[in-house]
Amino acid sequence: MIRIPIERYQLENGMDVVLSREDAAPVVAVNLWYGVGSRNERLGRTGFAHLFEHMMFQGSKHVPEMGHFSLIEKAGGSLNGSTWLDRTNYYETLPSNYLELGLWLESDRLGWLLPAMTQEKLDNQRDVVKNERRWRVDNQPYGDWDERIQMLMYPPDHPYHHSVIGSMEDLDAASLEDVEQFFRTYYAPNNAVLTLCGDFEPAHARELIAKYFGGLPRGPDIPPIPGRTELEPTLGGEVRELVHQDVSLPRVYATYRIPPFGTEDYYTALVTSYILGYGKAALLYRTLVREQQVAQDIVTYAFPIVVGASMLVIWATARPGRTAQQVEQALTEQVAQLRDADDADVQRAVNLLATERLNELQRVDERADQLSMYTQLFDEPERINTEVDRIRAVTPERVRAFAARYLGTDNRAVLTYVPTEVGA
Amino acid sequence: MSDAWREQAPLPGGPRTFEFPEVHGTALDNGVRIVHARHGRMPVVSAHVVIDAGAAAEPATRGGLAQLAASALHAGTRARDGGQLAWDLERLGVQLTTDVTWDSLEATITPPAAQLEDALIVLADVVRNAAFPDNEVARLRAEQLADILQRMKEPRALANDVVGRCIYAPEVPYARPLVGSTASVGAITADDLRAFHRARFTPAACTLVLVGDIDAAHAAALGERCFGDWSGAQAPAPELDVAPLTDGPSVHLVDRVGAVQSELRIGHIGVPRTHPDYFPLIVMNTIFGGAFTSRLNMNLRETNGFTYGVRSGYTFRRGPGPFLVSTAVGTDVTVRAVEEVLKESERLRADGVTDEELANARDYLVGVLPLQMQTTDQLAGSLADLVTFGLPLDYYDHYRARIAAVTADDVRRAARSHMRPDEFAIIVVGDGASVRAGIEGLQHGVLHDVKPNGEAT
Repeated sequence: MIRIPIERYQLENGMDVVLSREDAAPVVAVNLWYGVGSRNERLGRTGFAHLFEHMMFQGSKHVPEMGHFSLIEKAGGSLNGSTWLDRTNYYETLPSNYLELGLWLESDRLGWLLPAMTQEKLDNQRDVVKNERRWRVDNQPYGDWDERIQMLMYPPDHPYHHSVIGSMEDLDAASLEDVEQFFRTYYAPNNAVLTLCGDFEPAHARELIAKYFGGLPRGPDIPPIPGRTELEPTLGGEVRELVHQDVSLPRVYATYRIPPFGTEDYYTALVTSYILGYGKAALLYRTLVREQQVAQDIVTYAFPIVVGASMLVIWATARPGRTAQQVEQALTEQVAQLRDADDADVQRAVNLLATERLNELQRVDERADQLSMYTQLFDEPERINTEVDRIRAVTPERVRAFAARYLGTDNRAVLTYVPTEVGA
Repeated sequence: MSDAWREQAPLPGGPRTFEFPEVHGTALDNGVRIVHARHGRMPVVSAHVVIDAGAAAEPATRGGLAQLAASALHAGTRARDGGQLAWDLERLGVQLTTDVTWDSLEATITPPAAQLEDALIVLADVVRNAAFPDNEVARLRAEQLADILQRMKEPRALANDVVGRCIYAPEVPYARPLVGSTASVGAITADDLRAFHRARFTPAACTLVLVGDIDAAHAAALGERCFGDWSGAQAPAPELDVAPLTDGPSVHLVDRVGAVQSELRIGHIGVPRTHPDYFPLIVMNTIFGGAFTSRLNMNLRETNGFTYGVRSGYTFRRGPGPFLVSTAVGTDVTVRAVEEVLKESERLRADGVTDEELANARDYLVGVLPLQMQTTDQLAGSLADLVTFGLPLDYYDHYRARIAAVTADDVRRAARSHMRPDEFAIIVVGDGASVRAGIEGLQHGVLHDVKPNGEAT
């Protein structure tokens, strides 16, 4: 049973605050989720939400350039931020006596980022981010798979059609005016959740939060997500792409459209992904890897994303001597077997997920991030305690019905990588 | 709004000291050691079985054997085949992880406390009675060979797999990659694994670390129940002679045609984990390239935009592991990035560090310790390291004091002894047509063309 304590309130400027005390160790996690991600980017500015996240570490009116990193590292803390489809988060974990430092830093860049912005900083971080793209995507075998999958799975006018990292051209086009406009549009208390988790006195924390964030003005209402956000529940056909790349082994990414994160059937999809691909007793590991020896590895993943529809991706790398066609055929046959999923398969997956939740919630930074997530996405931080119930409620009947409805070949994209022909 | 109080960073409150959990060490009659700590507030327990069966103990002609042995622990025992083994743990919600380093092999589970006993019985069966069936060994060997193929195309793995060959003499185990080569892995048989298991998986070479929601008496009782009736002779410690490939500077190029970035590895042989300069070195490295605000990252990333990030570090092993600067830089700035690394190395040796840098690095290392010990698995892993390196179980009680005792003189002395740019091997995995002339122009010794691990030589 998970019982994370939760105190939740809202500042007058609209900022959501979640406090969760856990004093096992003298550390505190400060975590902010802003309701802006790559889904909010406009045409011609893909990758901008992420580039902007980098600019948030370049100092603000009262915080010197590199102040975030240097002040937190010398306090003995760790920090970072990340950008994804639905959100951008910023977080630091600190010795608990440095809580006020974290609040000062976070409030200063929310209140006074723009006075510190310069063209030089933007140009530098643009170079850093372009190197991040090379590192993650362009110089990696299969490195562009998620970019390609998003293009296959979402229509061009859907906000998930493009990747978080964005294109080199769009990164080149980003200007200081874009930074200012983006900041004024999305970085406002009324688009933020602040979570503290760890060793603090709640009454004292409330005073500090009022001091540092209470005076920040509410921003204008957040504009709707651009493009078409509604989608049919299923694709209605199979989409395929074949990529020749400098890879050693063929790999197949079979991706199915599933209901968004938070819905009842998302949890069915999550359990199903564990039945299929998590652990060495998983259905696809048993069959494709251990018995048929057609695949080298199996990875399955249900995206926790909320706009219109999510994705369940299954990837399998061919063993040397096996073809992508053989892998795909075996994968398709086994996924069809889910229509007969039995109780043992479901229980195994549910128990693995439940243990994983217990383990990850040992960390105050993970607790804080999940509390921010459930608040930002569902306005319900209490979900951190009920998530396992939603997982345990998944039955074999639900998995079978889910498989019948969502895991057919007419509801998927198949992205296949094959090695470039030698000399081609 | 008056915001004068915003001008300065707020001062910290009074610190609450991090108390490292009490660690108990005992031994069973047969020599199996039990290390226990109560930790955390979630109802889970991490169990790490640490075995003195690292890759340094594998036969020189069987490179990759220890790694294959670790993955083949999943292939089942005398009592249950691989499929049954996976079911027996995963139905409890437990995953078995096996991992190998040069110095030890670990098998790890983190079950809910209520499932600990059932899961630990299976784990003990794996460690004691691994069967290495022929068909499963053949499959896992083929997977490891395919992994070698894939690592040839992945630039980070490709760079990491050739580093050893560029800095250690060929007869040193550390010269070969942990994963082995196509030839050495291809030669491994199920009998080789059984012989390795028989020789190295013995009670005296085995420690059970239990951390989490469990008391010391229960931990001792479980250890006795799962390992008490195990017998076996003690295995000899592996011998390790470590010599460098060359005393002078050298440059190594692995050509990846068309690569948009160069993976760089720059360094030389470091020091063993138990070297007396350990603490000055980790403080020095924090300043040099071990933290985000390190000199290298500020220079290469924040000033020059050459890279998404750069790190340096001593890889600590029983023998002297490598000291390496690791980064990926744009192809067109490869030479400039190498020059900056060399410049920062020379500067540290010549000028040492400032008092402010020293204080910041010490505070950072002391402060992040509790952040790195939050979970039962993190703490159990840290205790397993103490076991592997023969360090006392109260080691972390003195960690802060030993960091705090490091002086600027210590750091400068450590830099001069253990960071020698004129002996660096500079390893570049990148587009040869673009970078070859430039790195030759560095005049940093002879340029060697290096083939990827896995390619016939």
